[in-house]
Amino acid sequence: MRRKSPERRTGLVGSGAVNVLFAAPALLLFGTFVLWPLGASVSFALTNWDGYNVPHWIGFDNFTRAFRDLSYLWSYAHVTIYVLATLLFEVTFGLFAALLMNSSKPGYSLFRTLFFSPVVLSWTAAGLLWTFVLDYRTGLVNATLRALGLGSLAHPWLSDPVTALIALSLVSGWKYSGFYMIIFFAAIRRIPQDVYEAATIDGASTWQQVISITVPLIRSNALVCVLFAVTGGYSAFDLFFTMTNGQPNGATDVPVTWILKQGIAQNQIGYGAALTLILVVIIAGIAAIYSRSTDRLRVTQY
Amino acid sequence: MKIFEWVRFGTAGGIALLMSFPTVWMFYSAFKSNKEIFTSPFKLPYSWSFASFVNAWQQGNLGTLYLNSLIVTVTAVAMAVLFGTSAAFAFVRLEFPGRQLMYRILLVGLALPPAAIAISLFVQLRDMHMLDTLWALILPNAAWSLSLTVFLMRGYFDSLGADAEEAARIDGANTFQVLFMISIPMVWPAMLTVTIISVIGIWNELLFALLFVAEPDKRTLPAGLIRFFGQHTTDYSLIFAALSILSFPVLALYFIMQKRVMTGLTGAMA
Repeated sequence: MRRKSPERRTGLVGSGAVNVLFAAPALLLFGTFVLWPLGASVSFALTNWDGYNVPHWIGFDNFTRAFRDLSYLWSYAHVTIYVLATLLFEVTFGLFAALLMNSSKPGYSLFRTLFFSPVVLSWTAAGLLWTFVLDYRTGLVNATLRALGLGSLAHPWLSDPVTALIALSLVSGWKYSGFYMIIFFAAIRRIPQDVYEAATIDGASTWQQVISITVPLIRSNALVCVLFAVTGGYSAFDLFFTMTNGQPNGATDVPVTWILKQGIAQNQIGYGAALTLILVVIIAGIAAIYSRSTDRLRVTQY
Repeated sequence: MKIFEWVRFGTAGGIALLMSFPTVWMFYSAFKSNKEIFTSPFKLPYSWSFASFVNAWQQGNLGTLYLNSLIVTVTAVAMAVLFGTSAAFAFVRLEFPGRQLMYRILLVGLALPPAAIAISLFVQLRDMHMLDTLWALILPNAAWSLSLTVFLMRGYFDSLGADAEEAARIDGANTFQVLFMISIPMVWPAMLTVTIISVIGIWNELLFALLFVAEPDKRTLPAGLIRFFGQHTTDYSLIFAALSILSFPVLALYFIMQKRVMTGLTGAMA
């Protein structure tokens, strides 16, 4: 029985300015520990503050300095390689796993549970575990190679600039592809069954159905996953800090590890804040351009 | 067709085992000696020894770290979920000037990486004399969790009708009573989901933990284990025991409530 009194349609329990009190604790906490420091970093970025002495206004000097800071510029090259690699190892592999594990038959639910399990592990645990395994002298990978008589293939995986970034990306893929698998899996499950039934009647094979029905219909989810991987990837920190922290010789520094070395370890609060703002603007810019250019592709019609 | 199904089952099962193996291997290797880890890396332990767990617990001062992690996680999650639910209730069920704007501002945290404010937050916490206290981790972590909490709770409130709440209102309950006696019992499944997401996130949190706490006795497990690792870079058994101690709670939570964890962690995106 539905009565149609006006209050019922508004769904409101109360009105009046005093109700802001119910949102006040959240707003206060968020304002103090997120918005305030965010605003403060804008003003710090325009100074040469070391965190202790009186700050001096230096205009945009920190920003021009940033564009001459080769380590900072290189850190974007490193993180871009990492982001591109995670699109393969996390998003694409996650999509592949979702297609493979999309089944109601016995066993598959357990497979998905196991596949997802590294996601809940901390990046710290994942990073330390793999640092041990990949160590040149005592690592398990090289120990196994030597035991098999393949000692010549033993390699300083994390101290060679080329293999270090690949190794980090692979560990990242192991740790996080389950996240994208579940998103794709949920999206696949939302596709109405009658679409497939129609295709089966038309004589389409399972493989044809995957290519011409499933993949196009989860396109919008794929676009969101890519956006998430890119914006998250550019602000990566935990794994890089845990496994290499820029070693060897800055070859694996990413923006956040470099920013923290400048800002906190070297007490350059002003400069660090400027580097942070540049990173935030770049991430927001990528997200905005990406969202705009993929807008038309997002519409899903069953 | 039959063959295709078996190949598919085998491939899916093989990949699933490979993905979970490193974690499983970490757990059972902690029961071995270092020598055994190297001579037969993949075999199950010859004898299950808790020696490394005891050593790691004592040498790494893990009892203290564990307690710190527990205090930070429980307090921060309680604040985020309670304040976030109350705010979501206000944004959906109450009307007051500026509520749309306030909601949008709270969502800023969804798009922002924590690193974006790490440096100025460091200075701010220092000026508030909070560095090297657990509050330096509790308050920022709770604040960061609010965005997702409010977002998910608002969606849940939106999906439910307000009939019960309005009825209580008509019966003379005040807004506060409506929230605690009617709304919270109604939305608790969503509160449980956001609790689990926040617990996993804050238990594993590293950036703030590294920057805002330098004193060994105030560290949380992830930050403490990184230091511990630096001192024992060749002792596999000891480090694996420490990592197992760090990972056990979240993995246990995951295997007990896997559906909720999976949909919760990915729910904001799907």
